[in-house]
Amino acid sequence: MRAFWKYLLLILMTLVILGGLIPPIVAYPKNFFEFPLIPGLEDKARIIFFHVPTAWLTVLAYLIAMFYGIRYLKKKNIYDDMKSVSAAALGLVFCILATVTGSVWAKFTWGSFWHWDPRETSIFILLLIYGAYFALRSALDSEEKRARLSAIYSIIAFLTTPFFIFIMPRLMIGLHPGSLEIDPATGQIRASANPVIKFQMAANMRVVFFLSLTAFTILYFWFWNLTHRILKLEYNSQKEI
Amino acid sequence: MNPFYDFLEQNSLYIVMIIVLLVWFGIFAFTFNLEKRVKKLEEKLNQ
Repeated sequence: MRAFWKYLLLILMTLVILGGLIPPIVAYPKNFFEFPLIPGLEDKARIIFFHVPTAWLTVLAYLIAMFYGIRYLKKKNIYDDMKSVSAAALGLVFCILATVTGSVWAKFTWGSFWHWDPRETSIFILLLIYGAYFALRSALDSEEKRARLSAIYSIIAFLTTPFFIFIMPRLMIGLHPGSLEIDPATGQIRASANPVIKFQMAANMRVVFFLSLTAFTILYFWFWNLTHRILKLEYNSQKEI
Repeated sequence: MNPFYDFLEQNSLYIVMIIVLLVWFGIFAFTFNLEKRVKKLEEKLNQ
């Protein structure tokens, strides 16, 4: 990876940390550097700059794992399998980070670390699915069979990811921002009116948020690049001996 | 309740700090693991 991207990452991530933590939260923002107050969320709103990008990287990593899985099946190049498995490993790391950071936030917003909100349930299932991916890989000795089966598994596993991350938590009644609730007047299910759940970012928060997504994406590609290069070296050094 | 919990609840910026720290720990653990693998490779190649 070119040095340019690493410098860009350094600058962007620094900006995100400063821009995410410094701006004061006020009830009626008048200046561009003030974030609006959301009752019940207050300073906790800032988690969005650090928690959501980890969940985004999970999706990106699993997508790339599937992409290189398909490429492996087409070309039978073992290096594609390495790229696929290192993407899946990173996806799992960021999936765990998204779960843990979300859980800490839940403790102070909902009152408990874990209580099977639809969002928590769906990320838990996603963790299990990709945990099983690594169980599958370690259970197979033959290199070719392992690469082929895990490529197929990565395709099937990724098909569930958008459903668990983007769709299911938005279709169910829950407490995570973006969930639905039952309207107490009519008994109908509707988009939640709770300020924490219907939380929308102000324009200046959105700028920091997208900078954060960019920074985390570069970080992901850097790590992914390092891991699959190491895997390749490990493989080649084994062949020589 | 627990005074530490109350403190965090009233100063929720610190909760964000904990979350940033957790992300950093995750990244650190990952990098640490990479380093170990590189070291193993180096030992193997120097034999």
